[in-house]
Amino acid sequence: MSRIKGLLARTRSIVAAKSSESRMEEEFRFHVEMETKRLIEIQHLAPDEARRRALVAFGGLDAHRESMRDERGARWFADLGADVRYALRSMRRAPGFAIAVAITLGVGIGVNGMVFGNVNSLLFRPITEHESERLVALFGSDTKTRVASQLGYEDYLDFRDKSGVFDGLAAMRGIPLNLVVPWSSSAADMVWAELVSENYFDVLGMRPTIGRFFTAADEGQATPAAVLSYEGWMSRFAGDTAVIGRRVRINGSAFTVIGVAARGFKGLRTFGFWPEIWVPVSMYSVVIPGAPARPQGRGGGPWMVFGRMRHGMDRAQTEAGAVHFAKQLAEAYPATNTTLSTTLLPASTGFDHPDFVKPAVLALASALGLFASLVVLAIICANLANLQLARAAARTDEVAIRLSLGCSRGRLTRQMLAESALLAIPGVLIGASMLTLGPSTEAAMVPHFQFRVGFGSTIDGHVVAFTAGVALLSIALFGLVPALRSTRARSLSTLIGARRTSTGRKQRLRSALVVGQIALSVMLLVGATLFVRSLAVARGADIGFDQRNRVLMSVNVGLQGYDSTRGRRFYDDVLARVRDLPSVASASWAFPAPFDTYGRGMSIYVEGLATRSSDGTVGISTTVAGEDFINALGLRLEAGRSFTRADSANAPLVMVISRAMATRLWPGKSPLGLRVRRDGANGPEITVVGVVADASFDPLAPPHQVRGYLPLRQNYRDWQTLIVHTRDGTPGAVSAIKAALSSVDPALPVFGVTTLEQSVDNGLNTPRIAATIAGFFGALALLISTVGLYAVVASGVAERTREIGVRVALGSTPSDVMRFVMRGGARLGLAGLLVGLVGAAGMTRLMGAVLFGLSPADPMTFGIVPTALALVVLVATYIPARRAVRLDPVAALRNE
Amino acid sequence: MPPRHAQEPDALRGSIDLLVLKALALEPIHGWGIGLRIQELSQGRLDVNQGSLYPALQRLEHRGWVESNWQSTENNRRARYYSLTKAGRKALGEEVEKWKRFAATVTLVIES
Repeated sequence: MSRIKGLLARTRSIVAAKSSESRMEEEFRFHVEMETKRLIEIQHLAPDEARRRALVAFGGLDAHRESMRDERGARWFADLGADVRYALRSMRRAPGFAIAVAITLGVGIGVNGMVFGNVNSLLFRPITEHESERLVALFGSDTKTRVASQLGYEDYLDFRDKSGVFDGLAAMRGIPLNLVVPWSSSAADMVWAELVSENYFDVLGMRPTIGRFFTAADEGQATPAAVLSYEGWMSRFAGDTAVIGRRVRINGSAFTVIGVAARGFKGLRTFGFWPEIWVPVSMYSVVIPGAPARPQGRGGGPWMVFGRMRHGMDRAQTEAGAVHFAKQLAEAYPATNTTLSTTLLPASTGFDHPDFVKPAVLALASALGLFASLVVLAIICANLANLQLARAAARTDEVAIRLSLGCSRGRLTRQMLAESALLAIPGVLIGASMLTLGPSTEAAMVPHFQFRVGFGSTIDGHVVAFTAGVALLSIALFGLVPALRSTRARSLSTLIGARRTSTGRKQRLRSALVVGQIALSVMLLVGATLFVRSLAVARGADIGFDQRNRVLMSVNVGLQGYDSTRGRRFYDDVLARVRDLPSVASASWAFPAPFDTYGRGMSIYVEGLATRSSDGTVGISTTVAGEDFINALGLRLEAGRSFTRADSANAPLVMVISRAMATRLWPGKSPLGLRVRRDGANGPEITVVGVVADASFDPLAPPHQVRGYLPLRQNYRDWQTLIVHTRDGTPGAVSAIKAALSSVDPALPVFGVTTLEQSVDNGLNTPRIAATIAGFFGALALLISTVGLYAVVASGVAERTREIGVRVALGSTPSDVMRFVMRGGARLGLAGLLVGLVGAAGMTRLMGAVLFGLSPADPMTFGIVPTALALVVLVATYIPARRAVRLDPVAALRNE
Repeated sequence: MPPRHAQEPDALRGSIDLLVLKALALEPIHGWGIGLRIQELSQGRLDVNQGSLYPALQRLEHRGWVESNWQSTENNRRARYYSLTKAGRKALGEEVEKWKRFAATVTLVIES
């Protein structure tokens, strides 16, 4: 109780400092007056004399005042204000230094926050708020090979209903769906969706953002209901709450939108397409054309299964129970389940097929990423600490004098710490704003597919706390070390001139650190320059087809329930109508189109061709295409002919091949009329009827790809891209073509509407991102090493003030001094450059595979980087050297 | 930051706290009165630096052993009156014990 009273009294005296002061003055005055009166009365002194004696008896007024102020902490606050003012003044004196600190520290902190943002979404952000730690994924596991598998639906049902191990078990399967929104033509698309058991959201324990979810109670009856993802609801329906209860068409059938999932929920897959729509498994035959009414199957299948462990059971117990139940299934269904056991994965933050991504690998990669970014920050802090030390060294006299005048070491340390903290504030702000950029940069950086992918990193409490912790730690690192170092009690020895020069070992360590930094930034710069140059080369390269005035749009008729007869008729009808348009020069179907994000391939057998595979086949990339594809794509026919309508399903199989394929399979021979066999030595024969010039279909692959073109009539596919060569690039052409396509089947969604130019641009997105990231880190590394080099040279100058003074006194000219200082810095820069170039030579050899039409030993790159570095070294050493030149030799030597 | 007490050594500071507590044990009184009372109790033999009473009082107040408020003196002047809290009374007992032990030990040493 009285302890609280004491605390209150203390708080009052700090908060209401003014009233404490006036109370103190009044008490002192009262005391002296009373004492004076007493002395007059008792000792009969004259009033003046009495007052003088009373004051003497009281002791030093100011000392008592200070003592009381100290005790209540008022002094602390007054000093803090002074510290801040002092720090601001020294920042104004050296704005370049303040900017260097702000940028390097800010970027260092921001990068850490962004990396942790991704790690957090991978490893720590729970899928659902409701006891996510009890979520597990159930996979099949082969008793002999230990290979993990997904489950068949009937096995799933038995695990759910009969095993008694789980508190709820749900199944899901990712599928593409054709979505048509009757009231919004632009929302029609092929979207990624999940077909899920009705209890899916029950097991997750998720609440809908709006509307409701289907529940276990809906099981058994066909429910044409759909749940939207929050992101899909926002992007396609503009977050309109009226969407609930409205009907959309999925694969041609009507579905009612009943709810919107929780914000940020992107399905349970760690790496996978983000589902935009969930539909119940009772609609199986609608969403998977040609499937039976209910999913079946045992002994492995396409279903990802997850559930909740029962309360009181841990993962080992649950797994033991599941394995035990799998044995019962094996006995009951020997034909399918003999070798099927099970394995559990933790699923609190999502999961993936264990053969696709091992959770341990994920954790390791995350740890490495975090470690790397923390090391970068540590180096930044070391540089800044060096820089602070250099500045502190210049103030040694001031510190020494203050220490000997009785200023406490804690007081001085605090002042320097306040300076560092203040310097760090802009850096922390930069870091924080980089953090908020994280989610949007991710959207720009992930490859653009038909379906969305990515980590979905967000800024939650974890990320903010981590970044704040990192920021505090770095302030302490770069502020505390120099503060403690420079106030070390050596006041007297310093003042009488016995200044210690820095020990060689310390200096060597700093120099080695700087050389390492320069080397690393040289490597990063070489990589970045190569990426940028490669991008430029790729842009200017002959891609083998004509990207001007080409319009692309895709359909998936299979999802709409078309069989091949109807599909063929559809393809022909569309081409007939599109070709009738006046703006169209030529049109054809093809899949995959150039720079599409998908690849297709097949293996062929060629008589007499040596291969590495055991069955004697070679793999080639393929494109299935219509008759006019050469004109539509602007390819160059080098020999033979294109396809005709006569190359129908019943006619002999034919193909057109790329020049690279002709050279690879039959070097020096004309390939026309020669035959390959599909799939193997006994496969059907295909005759080569034409050769086209090499064309680049994949931005990352070399242009000389072994590629075969197969006629669509002989190789029916339900997913095709319409490629139209228009006579001019008018935007009206796109809508006219789309209208012609839709007039054949208004219910069929058209997606991926783009031009070949955009498509090529999009295809170059990945190398562009690589160039951007490498460029960013290269520039960052350069900045960091510049600061590092500057710090070392500057502290060298500060510590050798006397030596420089002696040199000048003995007749060194300013240019001699400048050369002397800069030579040291240049030597470090040169060492870093050499080490870095050796490292870069090794690194670029690994990069060869991803460089487009550029030698890893690109002379231009290896010319640009050293030049840039030389400039930086010049700047970083010139400034401290100029300071050394300006030194007054008399002042420098006065302490002797 | 710890307060500085350059004015008096530790032992004396401790004794000032003790004297102040003892002086307040009788009845609440203002700072000047405390000095006067210490003089009386020591029969004029202890002449503490009067000003140093105030930092001591503030310290004791922050520790929760003493509380204070404005009151009027007999001559109708405003003065800050200090009184012991419950914890202060308890602390006085303990401090007295400590002091006695300390004094006895020192006596033991110097008379041996």
